[in-house]
Amino acid sequence: MLDFFLRTREAQRALVEARARLYRVAYAWCRSPALADDLVQETLTKALKNSAQLRDPKARDAWLFTILANCYRDYFRRLRDMDDIDDVEISHESTPESESSSAQIVVLVRATVARLSVGQRQVVTLVDLEGFSYGEVAKILDVPIGTVMSRLCRARNAMKALLLPEFQKNPAMVRDIRRIK
Amino acid sequence: MNNKEQHFSDEFLNAFVDDQLATEEKGRVYLEIGRDETLNRQVCELRRLHDLVQLAYREPPAPPARATSGLTSRHARLRFGVAASVLLTFGIVLGSQIRMPAPAPAPSLTAVPASATQKVANTAPPAKSAAKVEIANPVVARNEIPDNTTSKVLIHLARDDADQLSQALDDIESLLEHYRETRQSARVEVVVNGKGLELVRTDTSAFAGRIQRLLRNYGNLTFAACQNTIDRLAREQGVSVRLLPGVITIDSGMAEITRRQNQGWTYLQV
Repeated sequence: MLDFFLRTREAQRALVEARARLYRVAYAWCRSPALADDLVQETLTKALKNSAQLRDPKARDAWLFTILANCYRDYFRRLRDMDDIDDVEISHESTPESESSSAQIVVLVRATVARLSVGQRQVVTLVDLEGFSYGEVAKILDVPIGTVMSRLCRARNAMKALLLPEFQKNPAMVRDIRRIK
Repeated sequence: MNNKEQHFSDEFLNAFVDDQLATEEKGRVYLEIGRDETLNRQVCELRRLHDLVQLAYREPPAPPARATSGLTSRHARLRFGVAASVLLTFGIVLGSQIRMPAPAPAPSLTAVPASATQKVANTAPPAKSAAKVEIANPVVARNEIPDNTTSKVLIHLARDDADQLSQALDDIESLLEHYRETRQSARVEVVVNGKGLELVRTDTSAFAGRIQRLLRNYGNLTFAACQNTIDRLAREQGVSVRLLPGVITIDSGMAEITRRQNQGWTYLQV
């Protein structure tokens, strides 16, 4: 009986932790707090509904992020049916202007990530934020592992090309990065 | 990529930075990094990009307030149920006076075997007389979930006392051996700066052979030298530092320590 209570508490703690992590990645993908929250909500609803599918608890994280990736894909599929894809940007709340009071570097890096293609953005965030292996990312996004590697490589090359000139223009920012790190 | 000695593809270097390579391949890159300055810079840039992405999303904006939905009410009921269960459990335990076992500490904080000479210390400065390894408070960033499968230990060497260094290398070896014997996945990074740099310089190191042997035997061990210290030696003393093969450079020792602590690494100072 005690085991059951402890398991329940553990499950809730895991859910709360997973929620924050799913939200962070969803926000990096769609750049809108409201949309990211909706995606996480939908992800957790589906996860609770289909929890019986999860055989191996160790694979829970990858499973949750697979659901999130599917929700994100479905969202854009629905959106294409209804709206012009160009309108999507307008609904994003987090723009450099609205975050002018935030740290310059954070704004700059987020803006750079936002300029990547969706596929590249997903790979970079799953690897850098969540520390998934390339194999896990390939499963989550349902693409070959070679695609993960080439997307990641192109994404980082693009980020280097976009960020380094900014740092050269503003050397004080480099000092700030060192201080922050 | 235009360097003649460069023969690693961009994909391969990314895989190296993301720790996706086999031990043997990683060792090959480490050896090459020690010889090739361009390659070293490329790896540093990739690591910096990785860190910048983490920094940028450490604190995403809070989601807007949401009206109670089906899920949240279920969530609230679950929370209520768990709270009630905890209370009930507490009552049962009190009633029967049974002592519950303490919950196990988080795996990332048990990275170091109890046998090592350590003490939790975030107050007193390191003792000079003995090569005690002291654990400063390991810091875990708020939104970062520690990797439960890998113990990550950063060891900081900033002194050149031969006895202390010898003792520290003993400790490092026994730590790595402990992880190997217990089949635990672990990463150990030794950051050297200040006077500690002498340990990894070809012209001053009293332990060159031993460090080479450690790097050969343990693929999960890294020696990282502070570029700021190297630059300072060149500027102030005109010393052109040559590092032992396999030792990598990092932009700043202090920055690396802070960065690793933010990533949930356990920090040990010698």
